[in-house]
Amino acid sequence: MHVTALPPFWTLVQAHGDELLVHARRLAGDAQAEDVLQDALLRALRAYPQLRHAEHLRAWLYRVTTTTALDLHRARRREVLVPEPPAQAAEAPELYDDAFEALIAPLPDPAQAALRLRFVDDLDYDGIARRLGCSAVAARQRVSTAVRTLRTHGIPT
Amino acid sequence: MTLPAALLEKIASAAVREGLADAVYATVPTPIGPLLVVTGKRGVVRLAFPEEPAAAVLERVAATLGPRVVASTAETAAVRDAIGAYFEGDDETLDVPVDLALVRSDFRREALLTLRTEVGPGHVVTYGELAARIGRPKAARAIGTACATNPVPLIVPCHRVLPGAGGVGSYGGGPERKRALLAHEGALLV
Repeated sequence: MHVTALPPFWTLVQAHGDELLVHARRLAGDAQAEDVLQDALLRALRAYPQLRHAEHLRAWLYRVTTTTALDLHRARRREVLVPEPPAQAAEAPELYDDAFEALIAPLPDPAQAALRLRFVDDLDYDGIARRLGCSAVAARQRVSTAVRTLRTHGIPT
Repeated sequence: MTLPAALLEKIASAAVREGLADAVYATVPTPIGPLLVVTGKRGVVRLAFPEEPAAAVLERVAATLGPRVVASTAETAAVRDAIGAYFEGDDETLDVPVDLALVRSDFRREALLTLRTEVGPGHVVTYGELAARIGRPKAARAIGTACATNPVPLIVPCHRVLPGAGGVGSYGGGPERKRALLAHEGALLV
């Protein structure tokens, strides 16, 4: 038994599903967003019982969705470049952090920092702005440029 | 933007297909109000009347069966059909697998299983008679508790258990529903 019990998974889907779909759309585009969300929620279900606490579940779902979207980009790229199967997604939740780091590693440092604050720390743009010492508008711009870089160019391998 | 219901259904079905769901739930409209049904891998674990807060019901299921609880109409078709057939009067047996995982004691489990197997639609027993049937003739009060804490009312038919002194007695879904169910089964002249 968990100290703080994990809520029934579908309560999370009902509370955050809408915004996760918006997020998936931003990362993967309209055509892929629903596939990304489905894949992300199934990944999340696989890992869910192993979570050690019931905190930051919304941020965790954002992270899983981000990783899923980025994996999709990477898989697409590999299909074009190298005919080998895409790396299997890590299932343990803590490994998502590693996967996320690996995926954003090729970006310039300021872009990485912005993405980490947005998707790992789950800060809003005001929070990101405070951490980066810039305006909220600039923070939003930095995050969206970084996401667009990943989306337009895929992940450099 | 709202998440399309069809997408949610698709995701839930995929989860069940891949063995990722500990429990699946749906709300079934019936003449006695919308009923929340929850099935586990081995059968129906919970049925709740609309007065019970769904969140609490699902949390309790999650604590027992596991937290991977998903909603799906398609994946609860068997039990929804059985409930439909019951209220239509086509088939009142509610013959679907039941899992009494949420029952807290062996005594209560035995009482509920005996009730389900031996007291069919249109029949009634008293608390004392049911106690006698499981070899505990003095345990009428404990039978009352077993019925009051029945996690799957309707399917385990505690509405067919009546006080020896007469009247319909109490019911988790309220005495009005108990009376309505008994009348529907032709077990009560109203």
